[in-house]
Amino acid sequence: MKNSIKAGIASVALLVAPLLLPSLGIGFRAFDHEGYTRVVIEGDRSFAYKVQDLPDRLEVRLGGRADFRTPALSVPSSQLLERVTCEVQGEESVLTVHYKGTAAVRKNFVLEKPFRLVFDLVKSARAPAAAPADDEKKPGPAPAEPPPAARPKPIETICIDPGHGGEDLGAVGRSKLQEKNITLKIGIKLKKLIESRTGLRVIMTRDKDSEVSLNTRASIANNQRAQMFVSIHVNSSFRKSAYGSETFFVSLQATDPEALELAQKENQNQEDPGEAIQNDELKMILWNMAQTEHIRESSKLAEYIQNELNELLGTRNRGVKQAPFRVLMRTAMPAVLIEAAFISNASEEKKLQNDEFLERIALAIYNGISKFIYYYNSIVK
Amino acid sequence: MTRQKRLLIAIAIAALAVLLAALLLLRKKPVGFEPELLNREIDKGGGIAEFIKVKLFFLSETSQYLRPVFREIEVPEIREELYRKFISLLLAGDSGHITPVPGGVQLRSLHYLGARQMLLLDFNEPLAAAFPGGTSAELEFIYFMVDNICYNFREIKKVKFLIGGNESKTLAGHIDLEKPFFPDFAWLKDE
Repeated sequence: MKNSIKAGIASVALLVAPLLLPSLGIGFRAFDHEGYTRVVIEGDRSFAYKVQDLPDRLEVRLGGRADFRTPALSVPSSQLLERVTCEVQGEESVLTVHYKGTAAVRKNFVLEKPFRLVFDLVKSARAPAAAPADDEKKPGPAPAEPPPAARPKPIETICIDPGHGGEDLGAVGRSKLQEKNITLKIGIKLKKLIESRTGLRVIMTRDKDSEVSLNTRASIANNQRAQMFVSIHVNSSFRKSAYGSETFFVSLQATDPEALELAQKENQNQEDPGEAIQNDELKMILWNMAQTEHIRESSKLAEYIQNELNELLGTRNRGVKQAPFRVLMRTAMPAVLIEAAFISNASEEKKLQNDEFLERIALAIYNGISKFIYYYNSIVK
Repeated sequence: MTRQKRLLIAIAIAALAVLLAALLLLRKKPVGFEPELLNREIDKGGGIAEFIKVKLFFLSETSQYLRPVFREIEVPEIREELYRKFISLLLAGDSGHITPVPGGVQLRSLHYLGARQMLLLDFNEPLAAAFPGGTSAELEFIYFMVDNICYNFREIKKVKFLIGGNESKTLAGHIDLEKPFFPDFAWLKDE
Protein backbone atom coordinates (compact mmCIF):
# COMPACT_ATOMS: atom_id res chain seq x y z
CA MET A 1 0.00 0.00 0.00
CA LYS A 2 2.80 2.35 1.05
CA ASN A 3 4.66 1.58 -2.13
CA SER A 4 1.67 2.30 -4.30
CA ILE A 5 1.14 5.67 -2.55
CA LYS A 6 4.81 6.50 -3.10
CA ALA A 7 4.58 5.41 -6.75
CA GLY A 8 1.47 7.54 -7.20
CA ILE A 9 3.15 10.59 -5.73
CA ALA A 10 6.21 10.03 -7.89
CA SER A 11 4.07 9.77 -11.02
CA VAL A 12 2.14 12.93 -10.18
CA ALA A 13 5.36 14.78 -9.41
CA LEU A 14 6.85 13.67 -12.73
CA LEU A 15 3.77 14.83 -14.60
CA VAL A 16 3.52 18.25 -13.03
CA ALA A 17 7.22 18.98 -12.54
CA PRO A 18 7.85 20.29 -16.06
CA LEU A 19 4.93 22.69 -15.65
CA LEU A 20 6.19 24.06 -12.38
CA LEU A 21 9.97 24.08 -12.65
CA PRO A 22 11.69 27.20 -13.91
CA SER A 23 13.74 26.74 -17.08
CA LEU A 24 17.09 25.04 -16.64
CA GLY A 25 19.96 27.50 -16.16
CA ILE A 26 23.09 26.43 -18.03
CA GLY A 27 26.58 27.88 -17.93
CA PHE A 28 29.72 26.55 -19.56
CA ARG A 29 33.46 27.08 -19.55
CA ALA A 30 36.54 25.58 -21.19
CA PHE A 31 40.16 25.24 -20.11
CA ASP A 32 43.30 23.94 -21.79
CA HIS A 33 45.37 21.44 -19.84
CA GLU A 34 48.51 19.60 -20.82
CA GLY A 35 47.41 17.11 -23.45
CA TYR A 36 43.69 17.77 -23.24
CA THR A 37 41.00 20.44 -23.08
CA ARG A 38 38.26 20.32 -20.48
CA VAL A 39 34.76 21.61 -21.21
CA VAL A 40 32.42 21.96 -18.24
CA ILE A 41 28.67 22.41 -18.64
CA GLU A 42 27.08 23.47 -15.39
CA GLY A 43 23.36 23.34 -14.62
CA ASP A 44 21.52 24.95 -11.74
CA ARG A 45 20.03 21.47 -11.25
CA SER A 46 20.65 18.03 -12.73
CA PHE A 47 19.52 17.49 -16.31
CA ALA A 48 19.09 14.72 -18.86
CA TYR A 49 21.34 14.91 -21.91
CA LYS A 50 22.38 13.14 -25.09
CA VAL A 51 25.88 13.39 -26.50
CA GLN A 52 26.94 13.16 -30.13
CA ASP A 53 30.69 12.87 -30.49
CA LEU A 54 31.49 13.96 -34.06
CA PRO A 55 34.96 14.44 -35.56
CA ASP A 56 34.60 18.21 -35.98
CA ARG A 57 32.31 18.98 -33.06
CA LEU A 58 30.66 17.72 -29.92
CA GLU A 59 26.91 18.16 -29.61
CA VAL A 60 25.21 17.99 -26.24
CA ARG A 61 21.41 17.94 -26.45
CA LEU A 62 19.47 18.86 -23.32
CA GLY A 63 15.80 18.03 -22.92
CA GLY A 64 13.66 21.19 -22.57
CA ARG A 65 14.33 24.86 -23.15
CA ALA A 66 17.50 25.89 -21.34
CA ASP A 67 18.37 29.36 -20.20
CA PHE A 68 21.98 29.72 -21.38
CA ARG A 69 23.74 31.99 -18.91
CA THR A 70 27.00 32.04 -20.85
CA PRO A 71 26.78 33.59 -24.31
CA ALA A 72 28.48 31.81 -27.19
CA LEU A 73 32.13 31.41 -26.28
CA SER A 74 35.01 32.09 -28.64
CA VAL A 75 38.27 30.49 -27.52
CA PRO A 76 40.99 31.54 -30.01
CA SER A 77 43.79 30.75 -27.56
CA SER A 78 42.63 27.15 -27.07
CA GLN A 79 44.76 24.36 -28.51
CA LEU A 80 41.67 22.45 -29.54
CA LEU A 81 38.52 24.54 -29.46
CA GLU A 82 37.31 27.15 -31.86
CA ARG A 83 34.09 28.20 -30.20
CA VAL A 84 31.16 26.96 -28.18
CA THR A 85 27.65 27.84 -29.33
CA CYS A 86 24.26 27.28 -27.82
CA GLU A 87 20.77 27.43 -29.22
CA VAL A 88 17.24 26.34 -28.45
CA GLN A 89 15.76 24.11 -31.17
CA GLY A 90 12.06 23.59 -30.52
CA GLU A 91 11.72 21.70 -27.25
CA GLU A 92 15.42 20.88 -27.15
CA SER A 93 18.50 22.90 -26.30
CA VAL A 94 21.74 22.18 -28.10
CA LEU A 95 25.20 23.12 -26.99
CA THR A 96 27.87 22.63 -29.66
CA VAL A 97 31.61 22.57 -29.08
CA HIS A 98 33.37 23.31 -32.40
CA TYR A 99 36.91 21.98 -32.76
CA LYS A 100 39.82 23.63 -34.58
CA GLY A 101 40.69 20.36 -36.32
CA THR A 102 39.36 16.98 -35.33
CA ALA A 103 39.01 15.86 -31.75
CA ALA A 104 37.38 13.19 -29.63
CA VAL A 105 36.03 12.78 -26.13
CA ARG A 106 38.64 10.99 -24.05
CA LYS A 107 36.65 11.05 -20.87
CA ASN A 108 33.20 12.22 -19.85
CA PHE A 109 31.84 12.26 -16.33
CA VAL A 110 29.35 13.97 -14.04
CA LEU A 111 30.07 15.92 -10.86
CA GLU A 112 27.47 16.92 -8.28
CA LYS A 113 26.85 20.02 -6.19
CA PRO A 114 26.56 21.84 -8.51
CA PHE A 115 25.59 19.43 -11.25
CA ARG A 116 28.32 19.51 -13.91
CA LEU A 117 28.84 17.57 -17.07
CA VAL A 118 32.56 17.37 -17.84
CA PHE A 119 34.21 16.44 -21.15
CA ASP A 120 37.94 15.96 -21.58
CA LEU A 121 38.77 16.36 -25.26
CA VAL A 122 41.92 15.29 -27.07
CA LYS A 123 43.20 15.76 -30.60
CA SER A 124 42.22 12.98 -32.91
CA ALA A 125 43.12 11.87 -36.41
CA ARG A 126 39.52 11.02 -37.31
CA ALA A 127 38.40 12.08 -40.75
CA PRO A 128 35.94 15.01 -40.66
CA ALA A 129 32.35 13.83 -41.00
CA ALA A 130 31.62 16.05 -44.01
CA ALA A 131 34.74 15.06 -45.94
CA PRO A 132 34.14 13.85 -49.49
CA ALA A 133 34.21 10.11 -50.09
CA ASP A 134 37.47 10.32 -52.04
CA ASP A 135 39.17 12.04 -49.18
CA GLU A 136 37.97 9.41 -46.78
CA LYS A 137 39.91 6.76 -48.67
CA LYS A 138 43.18 8.67 -48.33
CA PRO A 139 45.23 7.98 -45.23
CA GLY A 140 44.49 10.56 -42.56
CA PRO A 141 47.08 12.98 -41.22
CA ALA A 142 49.50 11.56 -38.68
CA PRO A 143 48.14 12.07 -35.18
CA ALA A 144 49.84 14.85 -33.25
CA GLU A 145 49.44 12.79 -30.09
CA PRO A 146 48.79 9.14 -29.34
CA PRO A 147 45.17 8.22 -30.12
CA PRO A 148 42.82 8.67 -27.20
CA ALA A 149 43.14 5.47 -25.19
CA ALA A 150 40.15 5.86 -22.91
CA ARG A 151 37.61 6.56 -25.62
CA PRO A 152 34.98 3.83 -25.31
CA LYS A 153 35.28 1.22 -28.03
CA PRO A 154 33.91 -2.28 -28.50
CA ILE A 155 35.32 -4.75 -26.01
CA GLU A 156 38.55 -6.40 -27.10
CA THR A 157 40.29 -7.24 -23.82
CA ILE A 158 38.94 -8.83 -20.65
CA CYS A 159 40.84 -9.21 -17.40
CA ILE A 160 40.08 -12.23 -15.21
CA ASP A 161 41.21 -12.02 -11.61
CA PRO A 162 41.30 -15.32 -9.70
CA GLY A 163 41.16 -14.20 -6.06
CA HIS A 164 43.95 -14.81 -3.52
CA GLY A 165 46.95 -17.09 -4.29
CA GLY A 166 50.36 -18.09 -2.90
CA GLU A 167 50.61 -17.50 0.85
CA ASP A 168 47.15 -15.95 0.77
CA LEU A 169 44.94 -19.04 0.85
CA GLY A 170 41.67 -17.12 0.96
CA ALA A 171 38.90 -18.85 2.87
CA VAL A 172 39.41 -22.49 3.80
CA GLY A 173 36.64 -25.09 4.11
CA ARG A 174 36.23 -27.79 6.73
CA SER A 175 37.82 -30.32 4.39
CA LYS A 176 40.78 -27.94 3.96
CA LEU A 177 39.62 -26.96 0.49
CA GLN A 178 41.31 -23.64 -0.31
CA GLU A 179 39.63 -20.69 -2.00
CA LYS A 180 42.80 -19.76 -3.96
CA ASN A 181 42.75 -23.11 -5.82
CA ILE A 182 39.04 -22.94 -6.67
CA THR A 183 39.27 -19.38 -8.03
CA LEU A 184 42.24 -20.30 -10.22
CA LYS A 185 40.45 -23.35 -11.65
CA ILE A 186 37.33 -21.30 -12.46
CA GLY A 187 39.46 -18.49 -13.91
CA ILE A 188 41.34 -20.81 -16.27
CA LYS A 189 38.09 -22.45 -17.41
CA LEU A 190 36.54 -19.03 -18.02
CA LYS A 191 39.57 -17.84 -20.00
CA LYS A 192 39.34 -20.90 -22.28
CA LEU A 193 35.63 -20.34 -22.82
CA ILE A 194 36.01 -16.67 -23.73
CA GLU A 195 38.99 -17.24 -26.03
CA SER A 196 37.50 -20.23 -27.83
CA ARG A 197 34.02 -18.76 -28.29
CA THR A 198 34.71 -15.08 -28.91
CA GLY A 199 38.36 -14.74 -29.92
CA LEU A 200 38.69 -11.79 -27.51
CA ARG A 201 41.96 -11.18 -25.70
CA VAL A 202 41.93 -12.44 -22.12
CA ILE A 203 44.53 -11.50 -19.55
CA MET A 204 44.82 -13.06 -16.11
CA THR A 205 46.11 -11.36 -12.98
CA ARG A 206 47.57 -14.75 -12.09
CA ASP A 207 47.64 -18.06 -13.94
CA LYS A 208 49.43 -20.06 -11.26
CA ASP A 209 49.54 -20.31 -7.50
CA SER A 210 51.26 -17.00 -6.91
CA GLU A 211 50.59 -14.10 -4.56
CA VAL A 212 49.59 -10.87 -6.31
CA SER A 213 48.72 -7.74 -4.34
CA LEU A 214 45.33 -6.10 -4.85
CA ASN A 215 46.94 -2.95 -6.25
CA THR A 216 48.98 -4.99 -8.74
CA ARG A 217 45.85 -6.82 -9.89
CA ALA A 218 44.15 -3.53 -10.68
CA SER A 219 47.34 -2.18 -12.30
CA ILE A 220 47.59 -5.22 -14.58
CA ALA A 221 44.06 -4.60 -15.83
CA ASN A 222 44.60 -0.84 -16.21
CA ASN A 223 48.00 -1.14 -17.92
CA GLN A 224 46.76 -3.80 -20.33
CA ARG A 225 43.82 -1.51 -21.15
CA ALA A 226 41.30 -4.20 -20.27
CA GLN A 227 37.70 -3.10 -20.80
CA MET A 228 36.21 -5.43 -18.23
CA PHE A 229 37.49 -6.76 -14.91
CA VAL A 230 36.02 -9.94 -13.43
CA SER A 231 37.30 -10.97 -10.01
CA ILE A 232 36.44 -14.53 -8.98
CA HIS A 233 36.05 -15.58 -5.35
CA VAL A 234 34.27 -18.08 -3.16
CA ASN A 235 32.62 -16.85 -0.03
CA SER A 236 32.82 -17.56 3.69
CA SER A 237 30.63 -16.45 6.56
CA PHE A 238 30.57 -16.67 10.36
CA ARG A 239 27.13 -18.23 9.76
CA LYS A 240 27.77 -21.79 8.64
CA SER A 241 24.26 -21.97 7.20
CA ALA A 242 24.91 -19.12 4.74
CA TYR A 243 24.85 -20.31 1.12
CA GLY A 244 24.32 -19.14 -2.45
CA SER A 245 25.99 -16.88 -4.98
CA GLU A 246 26.23 -13.13 -5.17
CA THR A 247 27.88 -10.59 -7.43
CA PHE A 248 29.26 -7.29 -6.21
CA PHE A 249 30.18 -4.01 -7.77
CA VAL A 250 31.87 -1.23 -5.93
CA SER A 251 29.98 0.85 -3.43
CA LEU A 252 30.58 4.56 -3.29
CA GLN A 253 28.10 5.12 -0.47
CA ALA A 254 30.66 3.65 1.85
CA THR A 255 33.10 6.39 0.93
CA ASP A 256 33.46 9.21 3.41
CA PRO A 257 31.22 12.00 2.06
CA GLU A 258 33.59 14.64 3.43
CA ALA A 259 36.46 13.09 1.54
CA LEU A 260 34.36 12.75 -1.58
CA GLU A 261 33.34 16.38 -1.39
CA LEU A 262 36.98 17.34 -0.96
CA ALA A 263 37.90 15.27 -3.98
CA GLN A 264 35.17 16.89 -6.04
CA LYS A 265 36.32 20.37 -5.01
CA GLU A 266 39.81 19.40 -6.02
CA ASN A 267 38.46 18.11 -9.28
CA GLN A 268 36.96 21.55 -9.86
CA ASN A 269 40.29 23.15 -9.04
CA GLN A 270 41.93 21.05 -11.68
CA GLU A 271 40.31 23.42 -14.11
CA ASP A 272 43.05 25.76 -12.94
CA PRO A 273 46.21 24.00 -14.14
CA GLY A 274 48.29 25.90 -11.62
CA GLU A 275 46.83 24.02 -8.69
CA ALA A 276 48.40 20.66 -7.97
CA ILE A 277 47.13 18.00 -5.66
CA GLN A 278 49.49 17.83 -2.74
CA ASN A 279 47.67 15.68 -0.25
CA ASP A 280 48.45 11.96 -0.39
CA GLU A 281 45.09 11.01 1.09
CA LEU A 282 43.33 13.03 -1.54
CA LYS A 283 45.39 11.46 -4.31
CA MET A 284 44.27 8.09 -3.02
CA ILE A 285 40.63 9.16 -3.05
CA LEU A 286 40.90 10.46 -6.61
CA TRP A 287 42.59 7.24 -7.65
CA ASN A 288 39.81 5.27 -5.99
CA MET A 289 37.36 7.30 -8.00
CA ALA A 290 38.75 5.63 -11.14
CA GLN A 291 35.82 3.26 -10.88
CA THR A 292 33.26 6.03 -10.41
CA GLU A 293 32.66 6.74 -14.06
CA HIS A 294 32.15 3.04 -14.83
CA ILE A 295 29.75 2.30 -12.01
CA ARG A 296 26.65 2.09 -14.19
CA GLU A 297 28.28 -0.45 -16.52
CA SER A 298 29.67 -2.36 -13.53
CA SER A 299 26.17 -2.63 -12.13
CA LYS A 300 24.89 -3.91 -15.49
CA LEU A 301 27.71 -6.46 -15.74
CA ALA A 302 26.97 -7.68 -12.20
CA GLU A 303 23.29 -8.04 -13.05
CA TYR A 304 23.96 -10.09 -16.21
CA ILE A 305 26.38 -12.42 -14.42
CA GLN A 306 24.16 -12.89 -11.36
CA ASN A 307 21.17 -13.76 -13.55
CA GLU A 308 23.21 -16.47 -15.25
CA LEU A 309 24.56 -17.82 -11.97
CA ASN A 310 20.99 -18.14 -10.68
CA GLU A 311 19.91 -19.99 -13.76
CA LEU A 312 22.83 -22.38 -14.13
CA LEU A 313 23.81 -23.16 -10.56
CA GLY A 314 20.44 -23.66 -8.94
CA THR A 315 21.89 -22.33 -5.69
CA ARG A 316 20.34 -19.57 -3.60
CA ASN A 317 20.30 -16.19 -5.31
CA ARG A 318 21.79 -13.66 -2.90
CA GLY A 319 21.59 -11.03 -5.60
CA VAL A 320 23.66 -8.11 -6.81
CA LYS A 321 25.22 -6.11 -3.99
CA GLN A 322 27.58 -3.22 -3.44
CA ALA A 323 30.59 -2.99 -1.13
CA PRO A 324 33.85 -0.99 -1.05
CA PHE A 325 36.16 -3.63 -2.51
CA ARG A 326 39.75 -2.48 -2.62
CA VAL A 327 40.58 -4.25 -5.88
CA LEU A 328 37.50 -2.91 -7.71
CA MET A 329 38.00 0.70 -6.60
CA ARG A 330 41.30 0.89 -8.41
CA THR A 331 40.15 -0.43 -11.76
CA ALA A 332 39.29 2.04 -14.49
CA MET A 333 36.76 -0.11 -16.36
CA PRO A 334 33.50 -1.96 -15.64
CA ALA A 335 34.45 -4.26 -12.78
CA VAL A 336 32.71 -6.88 -10.65
CA LEU A 337 33.57 -9.40 -7.96
CA ILE A 338 31.77 -12.74 -7.97
CA GLU A 339 31.27 -14.86 -4.86
CA ALA A 340 30.27 -18.11 -6.54
CA ALA A 341 29.35 -20.20 -3.47
CA PHE A 342 30.13 -20.56 0.24
CA ILE A 343 33.15 -22.67 1.09
CA SER A 344 32.09 -22.28 4.76
CA ASN A 345 28.86 -24.18 4.04
CA ALA A 346 29.37 -27.95 4.15
CA SER A 347 27.04 -28.68 1.24
CA GLU A 348 28.48 -26.01 -1.04
CA GLU A 349 32.04 -26.93 -0.13
CA LYS A 350 31.26 -30.41 -1.41
CA LYS A 351 29.94 -28.96 -4.66
CA LEU A 352 33.07 -26.84 -5.05
CA GLN A 353 35.16 -30.02 -5.02
CA ASN A 354 33.32 -31.16 -8.14
CA ASP A 355 34.94 -30.12 -11.42
CA GLU A 356 31.61 -30.17 -13.24
CA PHE A 357 30.20 -27.60 -10.79
CA LEU A 358 33.20 -25.36 -11.44
CA GLU A 359 32.57 -25.75 -15.21
CA ARG A 360 28.99 -24.60 -14.64
CA ILE A 361 30.18 -21.56 -12.69
CA ALA A 362 32.61 -20.64 -15.49
CA LEU A 363 29.88 -21.10 -18.10
CA ALA A 364 27.44 -18.94 -16.15
CA ILE A 365 30.02 -16.16 -15.83
CA TYR A 366 30.83 -16.50 -19.53
CA ASN A 367 27.13 -16.19 -20.46
CA GLY A 368 26.80 -13.08 -18.34
CA ILE A 369 29.93 -11.57 -19.88
CA SER A 370 28.62 -12.33 -23.40
CA LYS A 371 25.36 -10.53 -22.71
CA PHE A 372 27.25 -7.57 -21.29
CA ILE A 373 29.53 -7.41 -24.34
CA TYR A 374 26.48 -7.29 -26.61
CA TYR A 375 24.95 -4.51 -24.49
CA TYR A 376 28.22 -2.54 -24.13
CA ASN A 377 29.21 -2.74 -27.78
CA SER A 378 25.79 -1.55 -28.85
CA ILE A 379 26.09 1.62 -26.73
CA VAL A 380 29.65 2.56 -27.72
CA LYS A 381 29.14 2.13 -31.46
CA MET B 1 -9.24 24.24 -20.86
CA THR B 2 -7.20 27.42 -20.66
CA ARG B 3 -3.51 27.37 -19.86
CA GLN B 4 -4.22 29.17 -16.57
CA LYS B 5 -6.71 26.49 -15.47
CA ARG B 6 -4.26 23.74 -16.37
CA LEU B 7 -1.59 25.44 -14.32
CA LEU B 8 -3.93 25.79 -11.32
CA ILE B 9 -4.83 22.09 -11.48
CA ALA B 10 -1.15 21.18 -11.72
CA ILE B 11 -0.34 23.34 -8.69
CA ALA B 12 -3.19 21.75 -6.69
CA ILE B 13 -2.02 18.22 -7.55
CA ALA B 14 1.57 19.08 -6.73
CA ALA B 15 0.57 20.59 -3.37
CA LEU B 16 -1.36 17.43 -2.55
CA ALA B 17 1.60 15.29 -3.51
CA VAL B 18 3.95 17.37 -1.33
CA LEU B 19 1.53 17.06 1.60
CA LEU B 20 1.30 13.29 1.23
CA ALA B 21 5.08 12.97 0.92
CA ALA B 22 5.56 15.08 4.06
CA LEU B 23 3.12 12.86 5.97
CA LEU B 24 5.00 9.74 4.87
CA LEU B 25 8.34 11.24 5.85
CA LEU B 26 7.05 12.30 9.26
CA ARG B 27 5.93 8.73 9.94
CA LYS B 28 9.45 7.41 9.38
CA LYS B 29 11.09 6.63 12.72
CA PRO B 30 14.60 7.99 13.31
CA VAL B 31 17.23 5.27 13.22
CA GLY B 32 19.21 4.91 16.42
CA PHE B 33 18.74 4.31 20.08
CA GLU B 34 18.80 6.57 23.08
CA PRO B 35 20.40 4.49 25.83
CA GLU B 36 18.20 4.64 28.91
CA LEU B 37 19.87 6.11 32.01
CA LEU B 38 19.32 4.01 35.13
CA ASN B 39 20.28 4.39 38.80
CA ARG B 40 21.39 1.17 40.40
CA GLU B 41 22.32 0.38 44.00
CA ILE B 42 25.86 -0.95 43.83
CA ASP B 43 26.60 -1.76 47.52
CA LYS B 44 24.79 -2.52 50.75
CA GLY B 45 25.72 0.91 52.09
CA GLY B 46 23.24 2.47 49.73
CA GLY B 47 25.79 3.61 47.11
CA ILE B 48 24.17 4.48 43.79
CA ALA B 49 25.79 4.41 40.39
CA GLU B 50 24.54 5.41 36.98
CA PHE B 51 24.02 2.72 34.41
CA ILE B 52 22.83 2.90 30.86
CA LYS B 53 20.80 0.31 29.06
CA VAL B 54 22.25 -0.40 25.62
CA LYS B 55 20.92 -2.49 22.78
CA LEU B 56 23.41 -4.87 21.18
CA PHE B 57 22.79 -6.69 17.92
CA PHE B 58 24.25 -10.13 17.25
CA LEU B 59 24.30 -12.47 14.29
CA SER B 60 22.37 -15.74 14.36
CA GLU B 61 22.42 -18.95 12.35
CA THR B 62 18.75 -18.56 11.47
CA SER B 63 18.81 -15.00 10.16
CA GLN B 64 21.00 -12.90 7.92
CA TYR B 65 20.22 -9.89 10.14
CA LEU B 66 21.71 -8.79 13.44
CA ARG B 67 19.22 -9.35 16.30
CA PRO B 68 18.91 -7.24 19.49
CA VAL B 69 19.90 -8.09 23.06
CA PHE B 70 19.81 -5.62 26.00
CA ARG B 71 22.71 -5.03 28.39
CA GLU B 72 23.54 -2.52 31.13
CA ILE B 73 26.82 -0.65 31.49
CA GLU B 74 27.95 1.34 34.50
CA VAL B 75 28.62 4.87 33.27
CA PRO B 76 32.24 5.88 33.82
CA GLU B 77 33.42 9.49 34.08
CA ILE B 78 35.27 9.40 30.79
CA ARG B 79 33.12 8.94 27.69
CA GLU B 80 35.79 6.93 25.86
CA GLU B 81 35.78 4.49 28.75
CA LEU B 82 32.07 3.93 28.11
CA TYR B 83 32.81 3.11 24.47
CA ARG B 84 35.51 0.70 25.61
CA LYS B 85 33.08 -1.09 27.95
CA PHE B 86 30.51 -1.26 25.16
CA ILE B 87 33.00 -2.87 22.78
CA SER B 88 34.03 -5.35 25.47
CA LEU B 89 30.37 -6.41 25.64
CA LEU B 90 30.32 -6.89 21.87
CA LEU B 91 33.49 -8.99 21.96
CA ALA B 92 32.16 -11.06 24.87
CA GLY B 93 29.20 -12.09 22.71
CA ASP B 94 25.87 -13.59 23.73
CA SER B 95 24.95 -17.22 24.19
CA GLY B 96 22.66 -18.41 21.44
CA HIS B 97 24.02 -15.84 19.01
CA ILE B 98 27.05 -15.61 16.75
CA THR B 99 29.73 -13.00 17.41
CA PRO B 100 31.37 -12.35 14.04
CA VAL B 101 34.83 -11.78 15.51
CA PRO B 102 37.75 -14.24 15.32
CA GLY B 103 38.88 -15.84 18.59
CA GLY B 104 41.60 -14.02 20.50
CA VAL B 105 40.68 -10.56 19.22
CA GLN B 106 41.00 -7.75 21.75
CA LEU B 107 40.69 -4.02 21.61
CA ARG B 108 44.11 -2.38 22.09
CA SER B 109 42.90 1.21 22.26
CA LEU B 110 40.29 3.60 20.99
CA HIS B 111 40.07 7.34 20.31
CA TYR B 112 37.07 9.49 19.60
CA LEU B 113 37.80 12.29 17.16
CA GLY B 114 35.01 14.71 18.05
CA ALA B 115 35.57 17.12 15.16
CA ARG B 116 35.09 14.31 12.66
CA GLN B 117 32.55 12.40 14.79
CA MET B 118 34.70 9.35 14.18
CA LEU B 119 35.69 6.52 16.50
CA LEU B 120 39.10 4.95 15.87
CA LEU B 121 39.31 1.35 17.00
CA ASP B 122 42.67 -0.36 17.25
CA PHE B 123 42.46 -4.16 17.52
CA ASN B 124 45.27 -6.63 18.12
CA GLU B 125 46.91 -8.68 15.35
CA PRO B 126 44.63 -11.76 15.53
CA LEU B 127 41.89 -9.71 13.87
CA ALA B 128 43.74 -10.10 10.57
CA ALA B 129 45.86 -13.16 11.32
CA ALA B 130 42.95 -15.32 12.50
CA PHE B 131 40.31 -13.91 10.19
CA PRO B 132 38.52 -16.79 8.46
CA GLY B 133 38.34 -15.06 5.04
CA GLY B 134 35.39 -14.41 2.77
CA THR B 135 33.62 -11.23 1.76
CA SER B 136 30.56 -12.05 3.87
CA ALA B 137 32.66 -12.62 6.99
CA GLU B 138 34.42 -9.29 6.47
CA LEU B 139 31.14 -7.43 6.04
CA GLU B 140 29.63 -9.23 9.04
CA PHE B 141 32.50 -8.11 11.29
CA ILE B 142 32.57 -4.54 9.97
CA TYR B 143 28.84 -3.86 10.23
CA PHE B 144 28.52 -5.76 13.54
CA MET B 145 30.94 -3.21 15.01
CA VAL B 146 29.92 -0.08 13.11
CA ASP B 147 26.14 -0.54 13.35
CA ASN B 148 26.19 -1.42 17.05
CA ILE B 149 28.37 1.57 17.92
CA CYS B 150 26.56 4.15 15.77
CA TYR B 151 23.13 2.83 16.79
CA ASN B 152 23.81 3.26 20.51
CA PHE B 153 25.97 6.40 20.43
CA ARG B 154 24.52 8.95 18.06
CA GLU B 155 27.49 11.28 18.40
CA ILE B 156 29.56 8.68 16.50
CA LYS B 157 28.89 8.88 12.78
CA LYS B 158 31.68 6.67 11.46
CA VAL B 159 34.22 4.12 12.60
CA LYS B 160 37.74 3.47 11.38
CA PHE B 161 39.62 0.27 12.09
CA LEU B 162 43.32 -0.11 12.87
CA ILE B 163 45.13 -3.39 13.45
CA GLY B 164 48.16 -3.52 15.71
CA GLY B 165 48.28 0.27 15.74
CA ASN B 166 48.52 0.56 11.98
CA GLU B 167 46.20 1.10 9.05
CA SER B 168 45.45 -2.14 7.27
CA LYS B 169 44.46 -2.45 3.61
CA THR B 170 41.85 -5.17 4.19
CA LEU B 171 40.89 -7.79 6.76
CA ALA B 172 41.25 -10.75 4.40
CA GLY B 173 41.71 -9.39 0.89
CA HIS B 174 38.34 -7.83 0.06
CA ILE B 175 36.88 -4.74 1.72
CA ASP B 176 38.95 -1.55 1.80
CA LEU B 177 39.77 -0.94 5.46
CA GLU B 178 41.72 2.28 5.00
CA LYS B 179 38.60 4.41 4.89
CA PRO B 180 36.17 4.91 7.75
CA PHE B 181 32.82 3.11 7.64
CA PHE B 182 29.42 4.68 8.02
CA PRO B 183 26.65 2.52 9.52
CA ASP B 184 24.38 0.48 7.29
CA PHE B 185 21.34 -0.14 9.48
CA ALA B 186 19.87 -2.45 6.83
CA TRP B 187 21.84 -5.13 8.69
CA LEU B 188 19.75 -4.68 11.83
CA LYS B 189 16.45 -6.38 12.54
CA ASP B 190 14.91 -4.61 15.49
CA GLU B 191 12.40 -7.12 16.87
